[in-house]
Amino acid sequence: MQPLLTLTRVSKSFGDLHALTEIDLKINSGEIIGLVGSNGAGKTTLLRLMAGVYTPTSGKVLLADGKPVSDMRQVLGVVPESTGLYSRLTAWENIRYHSRMHGVSDEDAWARTAKFAQHLDMVESLGRHTKGFSRGMRQKTALLRALAHGPSILLLDEPTAGLDITSARTVRRLVDQLKREGGTVIYSTHQLSEAQQVCDRIVIVHNGDIRADGAPELLLEQTQTTSLEEAYVALTNDAARPRQEDNEGEGRFTGWWRRFFTPKPPMLETKEVRESE
Amino acid sequence: MSKFSTHRIRAIAKKEVVEFVRDWRTIMAIIVIPLLMFPLLFILFPILLESEAAELDALELTVIVQSNSFEESMEQAIIGAGIEVVKESLEHQSQLSEPGNDLERVRNGSVDAILRVEKVNSTWDYAILRLSTSERSNEAWNRLLDALNTWEEEEVERRISDSGMDVNSTLNPLRWDGDVTQSDVATSGEQAGMVLSLFIPLVLAIWTYSSALQPSIDMTAGERERGTLEALLCLPCTRLELLLGKWVAVATITGVGVILQIFGLLFAIGYLASSSVIGLPELSITTVALIVGAILLFAIMVVAIELALAMRSHSVKEAGSILAPMLLLIVFPALFTQVINLDGIESYWFAVPVVNILLALRELLMNRVIPEHIFVWALSSIVYAGLAAYYASRQFSREDIVTSLS
Repeated sequence: MQPLLTLTRVSKSFGDLHALTEIDLKINSGEIIGLVGSNGAGKTTLLRLMAGVYTPTSGKVLLADGKPVSDMRQVLGVVPESTGLYSRLTAWENIRYHSRMHGVSDEDAWARTAKFAQHLDMVESLGRHTKGFSRGMRQKTALLRALAHGPSILLLDEPTAGLDITSARTVRRLVDQLKREGGTVIYSTHQLSEAQQVCDRIVIVHNGDIRADGAPELLLEQTQTTSLEEAYVALTNDAARPRQEDNEGEGRFTGWWRRFFTPKPPMLETKEVRESE
Repeated sequence: MSKFSTHRIRAIAKKEVVEFVRDWRTIMAIIVIPLLMFPLLFILFPILLESEAAELDALELTVIVQSNSFEESMEQAIIGAGIEVVKESLEHQSQLSEPGNDLERVRNGSVDAILRVEKVNSTWDYAILRLSTSERSNEAWNRLLDALNTWEEEEVERRISDSGMDVNSTLNPLRWDGDVTQSDVATSGEQAGMVLSLFIPLVLAIWTYSSALQPSIDMTAGERERGTLEALLCLPCTRLELLLGKWVAVATITGVGVILQIFGLLFAIGYLASSSVIGLPELSITTVALIVGAILLFAIMVVAIELALAMRSHSVKEAGSILAPMLLLIVFPALFTQVINLDGIESYWFAVPVVNILLALRELLMNRVIPEHIFVWALSSIVYAGLAAYYASRQFSREDIVTSLS
């Protein structure tokens, strides 16, 4: 397999919070990699670093030819956790907007969209405004949008979160099809079973570290366990920290102001009274 | 990824405009309201005022006249003003203006006003009791004052005449000869420019800021709140392209609003000009081009600042609470600019932010093209617009804009 992307001693901090600490990771062409971890583990930060949305605090994220990762965006398809659809545009207009930004003609984008839309049972919904879409339809539209310009790398942030069983299965099949076509997929998920079904390689991220990286069988061997769930527990036995977003965005004055107008729950007040007594 | 692509900027701008105009409330805000605002203000409002005045004129009013000695000619003057008179004898009051026992009658509206007249030797003391919060009572007060003034003038003339003096030369020893409007050497176009310069810059400045407010917030803090920005930032476009695309979209929406408002204004002025209320301003092609340039520079600065501050905000609510009060930063200088005397004004005023463009518009509407002033406001505005654009580009380069509340 050809190396595609290399992360060397990459750290990312947001103020006092160290989201990622000295990560080393190599992504090879044609791989399907599962990023597995709890909320706040650093999966999304890692994906954003790979997409060039974040710049590392230290270390390097480079393409195999030494170019910066932002150069990869032309061949990158991304499905963020929030899907990021415009509700006043139709599904097709959402897809076309991103394809145009990639410099792909509307005809080519439509041909690819129609092909994948059949797999996802979305053809009839392409002309509808996305405002009334269910979570599953939004996820499928975001997936079509990510595929329409013919990317060679796909970054999927929790693509099956909130999907019903059938839709989640369809997404997994689509990823499998992409693998057969030689695409590279980086797939972030909470669910080990899903990662085991879809991915050739699992990267376990916990509290900003990579705790394990390898094929599922290798992880079992490494941890001397019989199931991936046991392996995961063995590798992440320290308490998970809060998400970066939970700590972000509050200035000193704003924080003080908010606390001033926030009453304490009765339970805490009683506890304080007891302690003071 | 190529560093700069007009194709991508166009795609961003087009998508933003399409998405924005699909909201019918936006169409109302950017097309219907600007188009109708000035015609409604200049044409419909005076018509409404006229109809209100006619309604007041048609009112049948009843006034009680209390006096110790009724004067026939005074009573006739009051009746001539369309008032029904009910006579009563004057009770003793320490002062005529003291309501006394009549307070409740005026307050409960059983009478529109009470005129108290007391003859003291050869003069008359008087007072009118009224309820200033009642339209009827105010109208009665106005008609009584008019009638009494007319009666007083006639009485003065009669007394002068009775004393053997010439009424005209006694009352008007100094007289204007000819037509007052004829003596003003300013053309009607210049006079119209002067009148328009007192409110057009104010309205244009406020409208430019306020019509850019909603799209600026929607395209930045709105995207952030809805979580659509992350997908956008993963696309092969630079942050500068993103800023420019959104700037073009906001500027287009604001521009359409301002242009429609100007059309509405020209229509209203044309209507007023045809009814000789106000003339059309005389503006050369150069002046019109300079006015457009001044508005454009102002718009670049305002839109860039609004986009930058909205992009800093985590939510639409936060952006609104920052940007809405900032309108005062436009309103106060705009009001201040109205009272600055343009004759012999110092050039440094044309370098003060916001004030410079407003003064420039005032001067240009009066068709005063002063190269030194133009140089100062154009240069300072370019600098301010550049600084605002730089600040906006810095805000768009922030990493935390990818995070969303949703």
